[in-house]
Amino acid sequence: MTLSASRQLHAFLLLLLLMASSRMALAHHVLGRPAYSLNEDSNTPPSMQVETQIGDYFVTYMVFPAFPRPNEPGRINLYARRMDNNQPFPGQVTFRVRDDNWFHSNEETLGVQPPVDNVFRQNFQFLKAGSYIVSASFEADGAPYIIDFPLRIGKPSAVGPIGLAVAAIVILLLLVNLIQRKRLVRDRIRHAHAGDKDRTRSQKQRP
Amino acid sequence: MVMNYPGLPTTWGWIVAACVAAIVLWALTAPTPGTAGERHLAARWRLGRTPLVGKHLLRLTTRHWPLVVLRVIMVVLFLLIIAAGLFGSPIPQRNIATVFTWNIWWTGVIISVVLVGTVWCAVCPWDTLARWLVHHRLWRRPAPHTSLNLRVPRYLKNLWPALFLFIALTWLELGAGITVSPHATALLALFMIVLAVASQALFERSAFCRYFCPVGRTIGCYSQLAPVELRPIDRNTCERCETLDCYYGNEALPPCPTSLVMGRIQQNSYCISCGNCTQSCPQQNIDWQLRPPGVEAMRGSRPHWDEAWFMLGLLALTGFHGITMMPFWEKGISHLARMIGDSGQLLTSFSIGLAICMLAVIGLYALAVGATRFWTGAQLHYRHVFASLAFVCLPLAFAYHVAHNLNHLVRESAGISSVIANPFGTGTLPLCLAETSQRLNHLLIPQTMLHTIQASLIIVGFLLAVQILRHRLQRMAQPGRGHRTALLPMLLFAAVITGFHMWLLMQPMVMRM
Repeated sequence: MTLSASRQLHAFLLLLLLMASSRMALAHHVLGRPAYSLNEDSNTPPSMQVETQIGDYFVTYMVFPAFPRPNEPGRINLYARRMDNNQPFPGQVTFRVRDDNWFHSNEETLGVQPPVDNVFRQNFQFLKAGSYIVSASFEADGAPYIIDFPLRIGKPSAVGPIGLAVAAIVILLLLVNLIQRKRLVRDRIRHAHAGDKDRTRSQKQRP
Repeated sequence: MVMNYPGLPTTWGWIVAACVAAIVLWALTAPTPGTAGERHLAARWRLGRTPLVGKHLLRLTTRHWPLVVLRVIMVVLFLLIIAAGLFGSPIPQRNIATVFTWNIWWTGVIISVVLVGTVWCAVCPWDTLARWLVHHRLWRRPAPHTSLNLRVPRYLKNLWPALFLFIALTWLELGAGITVSPHATALLALFMIVLAVASQALFERSAFCRYFCPVGRTIGCYSQLAPVELRPIDRNTCERCETLDCYYGNEALPPCPTSLVMGRIQQNSYCISCGNCTQSCPQQNIDWQLRPPGVEAMRGSRPHWDEAWFMLGLLALTGFHGITMMPFWEKGISHLARMIGDSGQLLTSFSIGLAICMLAVIGLYALAVGATRFWTGAQLHYRHVFASLAFVCLPLAFAYHVAHNLNHLVRESAGISSVIANPFGTGTLPLCLAETSQRLNHLLIPQTMLHTIQASLIIVGFLLAVQILRHRLQRMAQPGRGHRTALLPMLLFAAVITGFHMWLLMQPMVMRM
């Protein structure tokens, strides 16, 4: 009971430490879950679009094309309006990008954009296919706002997961097969030995 | 544009509240369950004796080919889903992998328990594929040396692995957003196959189904409330049986995959309806039977510590499912992320939210159990009371789970015909606003009917919970001590949970796809 309580205390202290050391503490932060959309009233191509509320702002952003590919240009359009008076955000938005993995270290700045007709436009062109996180950040009323959204460039590998699953299953079944063969051979030898012993014993018992 | 489904009207809230109050009053004033009630609970109806269809039903359940055909169909469908997820369109509404897995199967499989108990497990493609791959047989008894046939280690012989996998599944579904990614859905399917094959290749019988499968265990737990059961027709025949073909199998048929002896079976939880026993029994003494719903949870099932936690986990996670689809959830998580400095996909904030929801339900239940134990006056171990009363959680969780899933099924299955026609979604475009609105307004059944069913489910769930509580408590309470007073804490717990579930159903729900 004491041990568990001390562990809990350690975990709580660790959490506090993490919270205190975080650089992004007290920033308005939101994750955009992407949805694909098509505007039937205009001739714009399909886009990946997210609408979200963050702090005092209602933010919409779109990625064109919906499925960007490596070495092909793309564009992010971001709109930010205050929820109380519908006024557009007048400042600048910084767009950054990083790899979408647990240990992301390489963060690059895509650009810092002022609004043009209340839209923050950021062009991009990725050289390599992969999963990225685009981060749009701005500061309003002294508070930082950060909006992250995943961006997939190119198609994810389809053969890789199948190959891995098939390889895992085949290796497992081969291992089981090998072990079972060994077991069978061992059982046969044991039975043969037992048979020999029985035969010797019965010969000895013979008068 | 974020689209919301309308919640139940306030009138339904008042109706449910009135019904809950009436049931509580009845529970506090009605005499303790007696022999008349026991007789009613013992009533059974053999499906094989049903006029006109009984004979055909019996024939279907004692032959192997109907199940084999269904399993082949399920495996083909499952492989199609994997292929579509990996090679098809990334638009979730246009790909059969996401539409079928999350809108049809995941919602429908829980609803199926109401009608057919654990029948899904009998045709489950994970287990079928694993058995085919390891044993190289479509249905017959496998050769003895195809699997290592190891005994499952003692520390894994419980429902903890399934509970952790269920929490992980919830985390992937709601936290990592796997439901809107056909590729991730296919990866999950592949992972489950590898897990099922590994379990089949290493352990004896179907250890995956019995201990590890989160879906199977969820269905198993809920099936204790189902109105159907697979049981011996005459228990005396089983008493006299010397071959135990149901447990050992025979020359042609494999044994029970979850090590059940039909003569002693008391609960549905671990029966996967595979039909081995109905086919192998030399006396043809096993048949499907109808029974009063919830009877097993009232008196048949034995309380177990791990199963109690699983049921409690189900209750917490079903409520959590509902919370995450409320418009306020994203705002709340965003606030939490701001407080703790979470970044990236806000998975830490989500995990904390999940933990808080689970702890809140567990804490509330633990308090109610403590108070009940005090008022029963019996010298019972807290652990025993905790495990015994956990059955009360089952109808509460099930009723909300079905009501919530019904919402998804009725409102989100509009695009199923288009994905059947084009499973990979080749050449399709994302949904435009008009199509999204059209789908939102296209319901399988009228909205008033949906609301009536949802509210009725919540009332029936509460009624069953109270019935289970009365029967379970009757066994525990010390004679002469206030049985009715002892009902109060758990009645309050059930009423609070029911009220919370009803409130969730009355809120507008964010459209998943």
